[in-house]
Amino acid sequence: MKKVFPLILLLTSLLAGCVHIPPKDLNKFKAANPSSILIVPAVNESVEVTAPDYYLSTVSVPLAELGYYVFPVNLVKRILEDEGLSDASLVHSAPAGKICNLFGSDSVLYVTIKEWNAKYLILTTTVNVKLNYAIKDCKTGDILWEHEQMMTYTPQNNSTGNPIADLLVMAINAAVTKAAPNYVPLARQANELTFYTEGVGIPPGPYSLAREK
Amino acid sequence: MTVQRLFLCSCALFVVIGCAPPRYAWNNYDYKLYQHYKNPAEYDQFVENLKEIIEDGEETGKVPPGIYAEYGFALYEKGNYQEAVKYFKLENDKWPESHVLMAKMIQNAQMRGKQGKQPNQALAPINPEPANTDMSEAKGTSK
Repeated sequence: MKKVFPLILLLTSLLAGCVHIPPKDLNKFKAANPSSILIVPAVNESVEVTAPDYYLSTVSVPLAELGYYVFPVNLVKRILEDEGLSDASLVHSAPAGKICNLFGSDSVLYVTIKEWNAKYLILTTTVNVKLNYAIKDCKTGDILWEHEQMMTYTPQNNSTGNPIADLLVMAINAAVTKAAPNYVPLARQANELTFYTEGVGIPPGPYSLAREK
Repeated sequence: MTVQRLFLCSCALFVVIGCAPPRYAWNNYDYKLYQHYKNPAEYDQFVENLKEIIEDGEETGKVPPGIYAEYGFALYEKGNYQEAVKYFKLENDKWPESHVLMAKMIQNAQMRGKQGKQPNQALAPINPEPANTDMSEAKGTSK
């Protein structure tokens, strides 16, 4: 029973947590009813130069799985670069319709990487990813949906009951995270939470199994 | 403890995404693209990986959106314009949403194919609005 209790507590808080979030107004999104989403490179507000490319690799799968046609992200990135738009902030600030016309898209997803960092304390480390998402309608340029998601990861320290051994484990954890902070799985989790959580994410697209039936 | 944590994680995952199997055969596309951005010098490996995704996806009829085009573009960048057109057409036929982009890519690859091995020669813009729609700058240089 002792072991089960925290589990139940966690599950209930998980479920209860979902209840408290006021569901987003998806009327605009549903009215625009896009079938394709153009994912443009993310604007980077972090100091990690690799963040936008690494992030870009995480976002096609959840959106396509939701049933949208997702433009090939690497091809889109390369075309924008060749158009003289290799600076993502230029792409984000340009009128949506102008960018969409290049590709023939219905909607466009803009992501801003707010945080992509690891905070090092002496013995533990937290890895943070904070993303701001906005989908705009290509015809009107209106924002159809937006969300901000924060994810934090702290390596779990299992207490062994031996303080010296605990210190050793923590030191190793900090060292491992320092060498290669694991941002990408965290970014994937942020995407999944954002797009799939009911009341937060976007409705299923035309290729979703739910809508095809 | 580990078992408990695993169970908890899977519970949380189920709560979030439900138990539905994946719609498409991704074959770790996200990880492969990440690897490409991490090691851009290993471009051939990325191209090979894209080909694998297509081959596996075709077996089950679950090739994900964008993958034919991504592979076609890799061939385009390697100067293999004929094969590139083939894959742009596959994307075009499978996904009507890709028509506008694929029409441009096919036209571009065909023009380059006709010009032979002159990847640096400037091409006439495909569309009348060069500022927005000139795709001819997509040079045949690989990363």
